[in-house]
Amino acid sequence: MISLFERYDACPSRFFDEVLAPDGKPRGHYDKMVHRFGQFSLDDIRTRRQIVNIFFRNQGITFTVYGVEEGIERIFPFDLIPRIIPSHEWARIEKGLIQRITALNEFLADIYSTQKILKDRILPAELVLGSKHFRREFVGIKPPLGVYIHVTGSDIIRDAEGRYLVLEDNLRTPSGVSYMLQNRQALKRAFPVLFDRYKVRPIDNYPQELLRTLQEISPTSRPEPNVVLLTPGIYNSAYFEHSFLARQMGVELCEGRDLVVNNNKVYTRTTRGLQRVDVIYRRVDDDYLDPLVFRPDSKLGVAGLINAYRKGNVALANAIGTGVADDKVIYSFVPKIIRYYLGEEPILDNVDTWLASNPKDLKYILENLEKLVVKAANESGGYGMLVGPESTLEERERFAEKIVANPRNYIAQPTISLSRHPSFFNDCDLGGCHIDLRPYVLYGKSPTIVPGGLTRVALKRGSLVVNSSQGGGSKDTWVIDE
Amino acid sequence: MLSRVAESLFWMSRYVERAENTARFLEVNFNLLLDLNDITEIDHPNYWSPLIRVTGDPANFTERYTEYNAHTVTDYLVFNRQNSNSINSSIGLARENARSIIDSISSEMWEQVNNLYHFLQSVTPQQVHNDPFSFYREIKNASHLFQGITDNIFSRTEEWDFIQIGKYLERADNTARLIDVKYHMLMPKEGQELDLVHDSFDTIQWMAVLKSCSALEAFRKVYLSKIDPENILWFLVLDRTFPRSIAFSVCAAQEALWRISGSSRHRYANNADRLIGKMEAELSYTSVEDMYRKGLHLYLEEIEVGLNRIGEQIHLLYFAYHTPKIEPHDIAEALPFTGLAGGRANWSQSQQQQQ
Repeated sequence: MISLFERYDACPSRFFDEVLAPDGKPRGHYDKMVHRFGQFSLDDIRTRRQIVNIFFRNQGITFTVYGVEEGIERIFPFDLIPRIIPSHEWARIEKGLIQRITALNEFLADIYSTQKILKDRILPAELVLGSKHFRREFVGIKPPLGVYIHVTGSDIIRDAEGRYLVLEDNLRTPSGVSYMLQNRQALKRAFPVLFDRYKVRPIDNYPQELLRTLQEISPTSRPEPNVVLLTPGIYNSAYFEHSFLARQMGVELCEGRDLVVNNNKVYTRTTRGLQRVDVIYRRVDDDYLDPLVFRPDSKLGVAGLINAYRKGNVALANAIGTGVADDKVIYSFVPKIIRYYLGEEPILDNVDTWLASNPKDLKYILENLEKLVVKAANESGGYGMLVGPESTLEERERFAEKIVANPRNYIAQPTISLSRHPSFFNDCDLGGCHIDLRPYVLYGKSPTIVPGGLTRVALKRGSLVVNSSQGGGSKDTWVIDE
Repeated sequence: MLSRVAESLFWMSRYVERAENTARFLEVNFNLLLDLNDITEIDHPNYWSPLIRVTGDPANFTERYTEYNAHTVTDYLVFNRQNSNSINSSIGLARENARSIIDSISSEMWEQVNNLYHFLQSVTPQQVHNDPFSFYREIKNASHLFQGITDNIFSRTEEWDFIQIGKYLERADNTARLIDVKYHMLMPKEGQELDLVHDSFDTIQWMAVLKSCSALEAFRKVYLSKIDPENILWFLVLDRTFPRSIAFSVCAAQEALWRISGSSRHRYANNADRLIGKMEAELSYTSVEDMYRKGLHLYLEEIEVGLNRIGEQIHLLYFAYHTPKIEPHDIAEALPFTGLAGGRANWSQSQQQQQ
């Protein structure tokens, strides 16, 4: 081992290290990378980090932290060492995700029409129909092409044995894809030579693919469908991503007040009058879309939008009500869903999951709280969860009360020791950090995945939570042809 | 272009220009005071109350301060966020507007507005008091830099035209107010008609007005050293070559409006074009004698009201696009445009955006 990696401790007995095999040698696909980084001094690393920081600052790549006055904007932490996935591993992830998303889409199409899966008693009806995100009003409304989940970002982790497992499906408005694109740009600037040595599959066509997907679901026959991106506005934490994607696709970035509905058709208000809209890539939650149908106090939405959608005059991506399928309780049934609709065995496994709504499971959960990770069924972004091994007795007791009060709302999973990847902490010290992977699946006429995704990394020493709102960062992610 | 984007461009530009001019208002006053015979009079309310009268709302001021002097007026016009026209408020609003359309402007423009905002946050009243000229120069330069950046790297599209309209309507309005400061300075002599006897102190005051418009040198090129009020008035109101004169600004705003609507001389496409065409023609054929006959203050006030009406028409035409079912009075209620009611046009995107 050479210089930078000399002092790196992979702890092979406790963790799966992405870069180093248990014998301490780099895994084959990381060989050239370790060699290259071995040639750098600490000063080289600092210089390159500076290049990257300037790139991010100039691009305005920041996210907003809630609860701080005037919305503090921070640069999204970025780690210089890329995560590398060899093509044979990627092929399996890709196949597994496409299988999973196809099945979940079938599931949504079924739930919002004949509900065959409930009649066949594969899933308990009360769990599906009682889900917070099930939209009874939309049963019987078929979206264009029968597709509900046009943009998804399932979170994939690796356990101590290095198996890829799906941790959760994000079927509503997953964010982070702009970081995937920008990380690649940043790393190209910092390590041009390294790119030479690997055949890294490009991802830069993502915005074009996204636009193509959105145009494919246009419900009208107009030759150039007008696509807009609907954002909650500048105070939203993902606003940068919204404006970035709109610019990259060349579509209008709209807020609710930029849109009007007249005669069940949606228009943008422009300086040249009203212009018809065919497809809305909305980054606004269901609840805020239309004050006439959902929350009447919401100013983010467009009055009348849902009627226009019902009439088939405008397409929404993603469709309304997809949250029922990424409910963490429904998650535990996804293997069954795959078998039921596709007649196949799941390629990617789930993480073991106990449902608090099941009395036997509930007993197990309450007895083993200190070993488990407990999550609220409908929350995201790392909010509303208990990490057993890191909690205090008092926290566990308080959480137990919440679980007993509303068992339908909680699930538990074993504390998985996520795989680790060498990363630089703030002080440029190299250490093993836990990572996950969020590939983005686009689904218009058929599902496709841009090779790679966003690798999120828990840059706080020892932390397991990779969400950006909880101090996580990200890495560039390479799928390489060997 | 989205109406909201057009509106934010317009107001971003307008508020930057307003901040610059507020700095000029204060600067002209300091310029005047330095020429006073008796320097102890520097805090005399007569020298400070006119600034409040022409830039904003005296009632709003007297609610917060007990007297007019250098400290209170500077605080109100520079720092006070309760005063929506203070330099601090203007730059804050310019930044809010720029932030909401950050994807439509160049990043250099955003950085400049943002830098100016952060510079203002770092300045203390004591610093301004110790060295007012450096501070006002800093504000003016920052505004010029913003406009220079825009000039050099922003495409000449409809977006550009809305930036120009905002800038020039605001500038025309502000130059009118700036001349009005001078008129109010002469107020103690009231009882008579506006005194046009050219005593030396008067000349010095007019020179200060020119200086604050950065117009002294440009003026000298035209009139050599003949500084008399008629020439100065002609220069600041009617001159077609000096870019801070009212006529120049109105003309520039008109051209931008024409590019958007396709109007041309004698053929107007909408009410905004009609009103600005009328004002432009009026400025083309007015003489200084006409202004005196009407009374200078009244003449300037009419220009200010006219500019407000143009702003209101632009708002209705391009920003407040409405479906046919909605009546105009609904829009007036739904969109708190304070074009005439508040004396100065004020509008902030952020007022609608708080969630």
